[in-house]
Formats: sequence, structure tokens, C-alpha cells
Amino acid sequence: MKRMAAAALAGALVVAIAPFVLDGYTANVLVRSLLFGVLALSVDLLWGFTGFLTFGQSAFFGVGAYAYALTATQLGVDGFLLPVSLLLGLLAPAVLALLQGWLSFYHRATPLYASVVSLVVPVVVTQVLYSGGTFTGSSSGLTGYDMPDLSVPQWLWLCGGLLVLLTAAAAVFVRSDAGRLLVALRDNEMRCAFLGIPTTRLRIGLLIAMAAVAGLAGWLYAAYSGVVAPELAGFDLGTQAVIWVALGGRGTLVGPVLGAIGIDLTSAYLSGSLPFLWRLLVGLAFILVIVLLPQGLFPAIGRLILHRRRAAPVAPPALVPAATATARARGEALAVSDVARHFGALPVLSGVSLRAAAGELLSLVGPNGAGKTTLIRCLSDGTERSGGTVHILGQRLGSLPPHRCVALGLGRKFQTANVFDSLTVAECLRIARATIDRPSPWRRAGTLALPDAAMEVVQATGLDRLLGEEARLLAHGQKQALELAMVLALDPALVLLDEPTAGLTRSERLQIGGILRRLAQDHGMCLLLVEHDLDFVREISTRMVVLHQGRMVLDGTVEEVAASDLVRTIYAGEPH
Amino acid sequence: MTLVLDIVTTAAILFAVSAGLLVVFGVMKIINFAHGAFITLGAYAGLLVTQAGLSPWLGLPLAFIAGAACGAVVERIVVRPLYTRALDAILATWGLGIIIGQLLTLGFGREVQFVQSPITGTLTVFGEAYSAYRLFLVLAALAVGGGFALLLEGTRLGLNTRAVIMNEDLARGLGIDSVRVRFITFALGSGLAGLAGALITPLSSVDPAMGVPWLLNAFMLVIVSGASLLTLALATLLLGGAQVLVSTLVSPILGGLTIVVLAAIVLRLRPAGFAR
Repeated sequence: MKRMAAAALAGALVVAIAPFVLDGYTANVLVRSLLFGVLALSVDLLWGFTGFLTFGQSAFFGVGAYAYALTATQLGVDGFLLPVSLLLGLLAPAVLALLQGWLSFYHRATPLYASVVSLVVPVVVTQVLYSGGTFTGSSSGLTGYDMPDLSVPQWLWLCGGLLVLLTAAAAVFVRSDAGRLLVALRDNEMRCAFLGIPTTRLRIGLLIAMAAVAGLAGWLYAAYSGVVAPELAGFDLGTQAVIWVALGGRGTLVGPVLGAIGIDLTSAYLSGSLPFLWRLLVGLAFILVIVLLPQGLFPAIGRLILHRRRAAPVAPPALVPAATATARARGEALAVSDVARHFGALPVLSGVSLRAAAGELLSLVGPNGAGKTTLIRCLSDGTERSGGTVHILGQRLGSLPPHRCVALGLGRKFQTANVFDSLTVAECLRIARATIDRPSPWRRAGTLALPDAAMEVVQATGLDRLLGEEARLLAHGQKQALELAMVLALDPALVLLDEPTAGLTRSERLQIGGILRRLAQDHGMCLLLVEHDLDFVREISTRMVVLHQGRMVLDGTVEEVAASDLVRTIYAGEPH
Repeated sequence: MTLVLDIVTTAAILFAVSAGLLVVFGVMKIINFAHGAFITLGAYAGLLVTQAGLSPWLGLPLAFIAGAACGAVVERIVVRPLYTRALDAILATWGLGIIIGQLLTLGFGREVQFVQSPITGTLTVFGEAYSAYRLFLVLAALAVGGGFALLLEGTRLGLNTRAVIMNEDLARGLGIDSVRVRFITFALGSGLAGLAGALITPLSSVDPAMGVPWLLNAFMLVIVSGASLLTLALATLLLGGAQVLVSTLVSPILGGLTIVVLAAIVLRLRPAGFAR
């Protein structure tokens, strides 16, 4: 925090004295470079933090610029019209971003598709500007409109101050509890969705905010330069912004800003004498950085100068008990009726019906390919099943996407440990609580509230001593325990567990088995467990369901199922 | 009638331009953003032949060789370290595109230049006089598609390639040198880009930035078609046809947007695109 404040202060100081030490030409170009710095900042938040590689931020920059130029030519920008124009410069990009976001982000969208759309948007915007006739000035753009009466030093202070302010605000945000959500989205979007986080809305919301930021930069650019052209919205500027961010260092905020300023200033000087050679060198540097130094130049230089002086790790928060739904309904937790799932003509599940009450630990067994994981999917994601109905705590599952299913009171633990690799244990747990304890967008809370069940898992498995450790550094068993704790942090009434003991040692299995039994007995949760190991299942279950070739063949007590001939033939592979 | 011929020939051009990108995407799961630059490279190979006063037919093999050689070098140095980082591979190949574009600018200058066409004049088809060269392009696209089908179905390399496409780990386990398959694929895809560049230039002109719009259209077509030459043919016919219709009936500017916009919408409604 101290280092950040010092950096912001240093930035402000540089901006303050810049007009007195720079020559006229440099100061002139620098204003543009600073605004490109703002553009780079918006790309970094999207790409560096949430992993959305966008080539299209230039579209918002261009729309913001045309918002100024068009209001100035059509209406003028005197008096109250200036704020109107500014509002338009923020709103028009935001509306475009809403459209782009709706196209790009939906349940099961791929990252490549989002990048594809980000390529389409600037191409479309540029063509629209080209075909706008005299209104947009077509290919020659607009010029000769009214500009605010500011001197170059004043522009420098305005744009430099804005850049420092936005960078500092972004730095505060990404370090805050809410800001960690961005990294969680990048690391594992599916896990986010199954923690009840509305990932689609989050991504669209962030895109809209970043569109407004890029639009503001474009609006200022038009007001300062007095010229706008369709190229401002073009795909070329969009890819240049990606290059600035990559060279500076994605995910570092300051790196991309410095990258944008450095490259734009240098190219202004060299484009006169060596225009093609300069672009050639930038392209070369870009490839070298992508291949050899994916983290970018800023972190590499920082490491060289500061030599192992990494920022002191933030002290992990103290664990405190959270209020839980103490009076849990003792009624029916899960009602499944006639659920089916087929892929094309191939049926994977058909006619599955079962009920489970609070306090039950129901095990789902069956050989590989019996449809166990498919059933879990159908119960936790309303868009998965092909037929039948599912009720969670008496509420219809309908065709809700995962995060809405979770809101019904369901938690799902995946087969492979599914955590956020670059977050710490405490941060992972806090993300899991995000829908319940709204994280602060500007600070890190000193405490982390966990419900009893999650607390018990954390303490029993020793995770409470590893709160500051990054999740990717954990051992396999610890990751599995962390994911279980994250699911329990939601305080779910129904927990779906897909082979929670896969790959664990015998003592770890026993420990997890004991915890699961207590979750059902003491905490009144309903657990649905997929397991291969019949002995393990026999020890902890209250009831067993056998799936075979996509159909339910048995539903009974542990003794009944274990004693049945059918199970023996299925597991021994004898003909039946 | 001219409209139908326009649609068919436009689809053929788009197919020729996209085939190389599709092959690389299908086998390597990497989008080669230097594809546009390889197209430009091929176009300049055609230009060199014209300037030397040789037969324009020579430009085609020369463009293929130039693209393939360049692609081979690039695969070794840039693409190979990025196999597991698909989005970074897009960026690195885009950087390559910039470098190739700037080198061409340094060598040939920025101005628009023209290439001699190997076939001139018109042919009468269904009672209409139509550009003979555009009709030749249909044959060329069929040859490219047919050649690939033969290569995939009829040779040992094709068999290995199909194995790598289906399951690379298993293919490696069976002793198939997947690194070699990838290398050959990338060189071949780049060569095809070069060939496409030489094929399209007699219709338009040559300049260092000519590849970028082609790259965008090819990219969208490949993403929409998944990884099969047949669906690519279908996509070029449908989307290319739409482009021709919009260009002639509405406006050429909107026509230029047709493919990218339609492809984005198709993918939004049906993420698998035209595949299956």
C-alpha cells in the first residue's frame, strides 16, 4: 500500500513538472501518449486480469472521439453542452460494449469467441464511420470544430492527472477483495459460476466500465487534437494497444501504461526518419516478449533493479465464524423425476428418479460410463438435461444456468481439484463467500467469516495454517480439501460431490469420510456422493443408488445394495 | 446469371484464401495471424515474376515456395514454443505479420502495384460473357481442396495427420512424430497462403497491407467451419454468397462486413458453427 502511494505521488510529480522541462513538440505528443496510456490501462484490466484478449478497445476510443467531434460540429460545445457531450462520450461506448458483451459472453462461450467478436467490433465501427457521408466526414474524418480553450501545459496536467488517478484507482481495485474476482474469473470461470457468481454479468459489467474509460480517453483526444478519423476506431489501433500491454507487462497496470507512453513517444520521433524500421523493431520486440518473456518488460526490469525485494506478503485475514442457516429445513432436499440426457441419438441417462432428504448421505455408485457424473451435471446446471424435472429444496431447477442453481442452495465439488491457482487459500475462500459477504471494491477485509462446516474442514486439514499460500502450491490432498471448504463456505443445503477422495491417501480418505458423515449428521446437510470405492461408500453412506448403463437399477440401504446379486455381477463384470 | 457466377467465383476465392489457415487450425489448434502476411508475400512473388517479364504462370509455384519456406522458418523459431499457449500464438503470429509487412514495405515501397494476369479475356458461360480468370479460380480452388483430400486420405503423412488431429497424445504414444506433422502442416498452410496471394492479385492489386482484410474474412470463415474442408466449402458458399448479394443489392461497404458479422452471429447462436 505504501509503495503504491509512493508510486502514485511520483507519477503526479512527474506530470506536474513535465510542462516546464519538455520542449513544445514532446509536450504536444505526450498528451496523446497519455491518453493512449488510458486506453492501454483498459486493455490490461480486461486481458491481464480477466484473461479476455481484446483487439477492440479502439472501437470505444473512436466512438468517444466521434462523440466529441460530432457534438462539436452539430451542436457546439459551449456551456452546458460540454457536459452533455462528455456524457455522450461515456454512454455511447458503454452501449456498444453492452452489445459486444451480450454477443461475447454467455454460458459456455469460449475465450477465442470473445476475441473473435472483439475483432469484429472495430471493423464494423470503422466501416460505419466510413459510410457516414458528410455527417461523419467519411474517410477524411472531421476537423475544424470548436475545442476547449486550454494551453498545452493545461492539457498535460489534465490528461496526466487523469491517467495517474485512473491507474491508482485500478491498482487499489485489483488489490481489493472484489478485485480478486477478476483473477478468479481468469483462472477458473466454471468454478466461479458454481460458486454462485454471475460470471457473464461480471464480464459484461467490466467491459462496459472499460469501454467508458476508453471512450473518455477518445473524447479527450478529439477535444485536444481537433481531428478525428475512422482509423481511431480501427483494428490497427486495437492491436497496437495489445502490443503496448504485452510489452509493458500484462496484469501490472503500470507496465502497460509505460509501454503505451514509451512506444507512442518514440514512434512520434522515429516515424519521421525511420518509419518502417521502427514498426519492424516494435514487431520484433513484441514477438520476443511473447515467446521469451510472457510477463513483459516492466516486471523483468523491476526484478533486475529491486533484486528479490518483493512486496511484503499481505497478512492473511483472521477466520471468524459466520452466521449460518441454523434452522435448516428438515424436508426434502432433492427431488429428481424422470431425468434424461442424450447426446444426439446416444442416450447417456434415462428415466432417473430419486429423492433425498436433509441429513442423508446418499452414494451414487456404478461402473465407468454409467452416467454418474452426467447425473451430477444435470442436477447442478439447468441447461444440461434433455428431459425430466429437478427440484432443489422444493424449487424448480428449470433451465437455470449454474450460478442460479447454486443460489437455490446447492454446492458442487468437482472430480479434479478445482481451485483458483494464482489466489491464496484465504482469497479462494473469500471468493466462495462473494455472493454472501459482498467483497469491498477498495480494501482487504481483516477477517474472513466461514460457516461452521467450512471452518471444520479448514481446521481439520491444516489449511488454516496455509491461508497465505497460493493455491497452486498446495499438495493434491490439500487442494481437494480447499475445494470442499470453498463449496461448504456457500453454506449449501445440498452438496454434490464427484469422487471427493480421488487420488487421496488412505488416511486422507478416512479424514474426509469422517467430515462428510458429520456434515450430514451434525449439520443436517444432504450429500450426494459419487464414488467408485464400495468399501468407502459402505462405511459412510445412509443410502445407496446404483446406476448402470444410464439407468437406475437399485435404490436402497447400504446392506440391501451391498448384498444384491446385481451389484456383484455389475462390479465383477459377469454376464447378466 | 452473372450473380450466380459471382457467388461461385467469390466462394472459390474465399476458399483458396482460407484453406491454409484452416489446415493449420485443424491440426495445430492455432490461429496463424501471419496468414495475411503470407498472402501478401505470395502476391509480391507474383509481382516479381511480372517485373522480370516471365510467364505469369510461374508466379503460382514461386508464391507457394516462398510462403512454405517462410512458414517453415517461422514454425521452428516462433510457433513451436507456443503450442500450449494458443492465445499467445495468435499474438506472436500477428507480430510476425507486422514484421513481414514492414520488410515488404522496405523492399518494394508502399505504393499499390499491379500484376499481369495469366489468363485474360472472357468466356461465354450459359450465354453470358464472364471473366475467364475468375472461372479459372474455381478450378484452382477445386484443385486445392481435392489435393488436400488426396493428401489426407491417400498418403502415410495424411494418416498420421488425421491421427494427430483426433488425439495428439495417443498419436505420439503410437510413435507418430507429431512435431514433424505440425512442422509440415504449418509450412503447407503458409505455402497455400502464398499461393492464394498470387491467385487473387490479378483481380486487384498489390500493396503491403493487402493481406489484413483477407485475414479477417478467412479467420471468421475458419472459426465458423470448425476444422473440415467440406464445411469450409459450405461456409464460403453461404457467407460468400451473402457477401455478393449484399454488395450488389445493398451497398459494397455493408458487403465488406457481411462475412464477419454473419459469422459472429452464427457462432453466437450455434457455437459449433457449420460443423456437423
